[in-house]
Amino acid sequence: MKKLDRYGYLFIAPFWVVFLTFSIYPVLLTLYYSFTNYTGSPGEEVVGFANYARLLTDTYFIEAFFNTIKIWGINFVLQIGVALLLALIFSDLRLKLKGLSFFRSFFYLPNLITISSVALLFGILLDWQHGSLNMVLMKIGLISDPINWLAEPVTAQLSVSLILTWMWFGHSFIIVMAGVSGISTDYFEAAHIDGANRWQMFTKVTLPLLKPILLYIMITSLIGGLQLFDLPMLITDGIGSPDGSLNTMVLYLYNQAFKYNNYGYASAVAYGLFLITLIFSAIVFKGMFRNERTAQKKGA
Amino acid sequence: MRKLVSLLTVGALSVGVLSGCSDSEGGASESKDDVLKVWSFTDELKEPIKTYEEKNGVKVELTIVPIADYPTKLKPALESGVGAPDVFTGEIAFLKQWVDAGYWENLSDEPYSVDEIADNYVPYVFDLGKDKDGNVRALSWQTTPGGVYYKRSLAKEVLGTDDPTEIGDMMSSMDGVFEVAEKMKQKGYKMFPDEGSIRWFSQGANPEAWVNDKNELVLTEDKINYMDYAKELREKQYTALAPEWSPSWFEGMDKPIKVKENGKETETQVFSYVLPTWGLHSVLKENAKDTAGDWAVTSGPSPYFWGGTWLGVYKDSKNKEAAYDFVKLMTQDEEFLTDWAQETGDVLAFNPVTDKIKDDFSEEFLGGQNNYEFFLDEADEITPGIVTKYDQQLDTLYGASVLQYVEGKKSKEEALEEFKKQAKNAYPDIVVD
Repeated sequence: MKKLDRYGYLFIAPFWVVFLTFSIYPVLLTLYYSFTNYTGSPGEEVVGFANYARLLTDTYFIEAFFNTIKIWGINFVLQIGVALLLALIFSDLRLKLKGLSFFRSFFYLPNLITISSVALLFGILLDWQHGSLNMVLMKIGLISDPINWLAEPVTAQLSVSLILTWMWFGHSFIIVMAGVSGISTDYFEAAHIDGANRWQMFTKVTLPLLKPILLYIMITSLIGGLQLFDLPMLITDGIGSPDGSLNTMVLYLYNQAFKYNNYGYASAVAYGLFLITLIFSAIVFKGMFRNERTAQKKGA
Repeated sequence: MRKLVSLLTVGALSVGVLSGCSDSEGGASESKDDVLKVWSFTDELKEPIKTYEEKNGVKVELTIVPIADYPTKLKPALESGVGAPDVFTGEIAFLKQWVDAGYWENLSDEPYSVDEIADNYVPYVFDLGKDKDGNVRALSWQTTPGGVYYKRSLAKEVLGTDDPTEIGDMMSSMDGVFEVAEKMKQKGYKMFPDEGSIRWFSQGANPEAWVNDKNELVLTEDKINYMDYAKELREKQYTALAPEWSPSWFEGMDKPIKVKENGKETETQVFSYVLPTWGLHSVLKENAKDTAGDWAVTSGPSPYFWGGTWLGVYKDSKNKEAAYDFVKLMTQDEEFLTDWAQETGDVLAFNPVTDKIKDDFSEEFLGGQNNYEFFLDEADEITPGIVTKYDQQLDTLYGASVLQYVEGKKSKEEALEEFKKQAKNAYPDIVVD
């Protein structure tokens, strides 16, 4: 017996070695740096909570927080909306659409393109003077002057949100579709016999039963969304232009660390981001837990 | 049968493991003795390395890391010494930071004593390789002064001449540039691709470092005036609204491009591009095929330089002698540098060679102009000692603020305020008034 126990540890050892070296050690080192004025070369001094004090009053960080939430929020609502709509169409018993697996991969395709290519592609499409989008809009007479999409804070944020939606709706669609397929057709048939229309079936049957799936999508998307970095970094000048509207929290962290060499402060930003992610996840989890409890009470 | 297969598999695997071991051992011992490790961010050094290997009989291992990752990859190696190169190059963007960090061997000391040959180099280039105590840490073979490349045919049509000296005279001040721009506009041409083109002249006649000795942020009057010049360029429609490195920016070099202004679309041609020495070979020649031969280069309102690569010996290298031999080949070997200059057209910073060859240059792409001599004269005009480690980032931040003003999103005061706030946020140590 004893021998077997030891073997068990041996087998999990590789994971722990890798996990401790590449996950825990950097996390703790970052915590240490966040209390120092480390600039990338040895000789840092411990400065106590100075970095955190600065973080709380840093208007750029606060701005970055709201930018991130705005860009992610719009993208999430659209992404879930499109995914649900598509799921509704594909799961409709009366429509009996064919080619689900084809569309599933088709919708997922944008997600496979590397983000730098996406940024380049949309940079050209959205180009003020020579972009296809403005050309089309001007040809059909919707606008008379070209719109500088990536130079106005509002349109720049909206553009990034829409690109993210385009990239991720296929992913959400697959998960929602999996959830919908998991719902027994008995419910739909019963509802159909009871005379429910499509909208009622969707709101009273599909949505409530999809809630756990939707919450799962929300949490994963939120954690990913709070770390939004690559697209805002690549699509304009890398410092969040226009007027700081694409300055997201991780972009800010990156610039502080690797452009301005304020590694100490950037570490504090990283922990700030960690706390924010934690709080948001807790809120979402709590929401899910309470819903389940009230549902159970109602059931009883 | 199954046993045999498994035995064979095990055998094959262990052979792989064993041979892997012997390989790496051989590699490790070799690298200590006679392999010189060089790190850079372009493949530029490939040819010199061939020459070096033939001459010195030393094998060179060149590691190329793309510029975006170069500092982040190189720094840990230099800090720890593990897998560190013997020779590595530095780009102007992080040069100042690195010479002060002490990663490069002090070349002012014995046995290098490079200060003795200081007169052989273009002053600003030699000066940039010095650390804050005045010791030389890195040398460069090239100089990268800038000019204004323009299309001869448009110059003849609008200005009546295509002579670089005459056109340089016309553009010797900002007012002169705007006069030329107005004439271009009258004929339906655009002076520059975008407003950013004139940022190189924002230093004006009295250039100063972004951050002075007292660690204060310095916004010279010339730099502030640059905001108005940029805005004027936009408002008077002197530019083709094609931002640097955008597809239309490249397109404008070779053919007419379309510009949408005031609700209508017009086709226009771009008269000039503000680019340095390397802009000729790696930008213009690559993108302007039909207009080849129709170009010329002249000076703008003030001299400037853009880019450049320096190299030096790693301070903890075990191979310093061989490493310095390579630096010497790259920066002091007359025979090699002569070949290099004639082959690539690279404008050298080493006077003993340039003095010999500069008179014979004739660039077909520039209609036979001797751009070599032109650039060397420009290089001598550049004020040394105004580059700081902050330049790259402060230029980016300032550029973004200026653009806000140009596009009318912010007033001049607001844009300047925002820039100062950003600068302070990025570099809390700097004193910002």
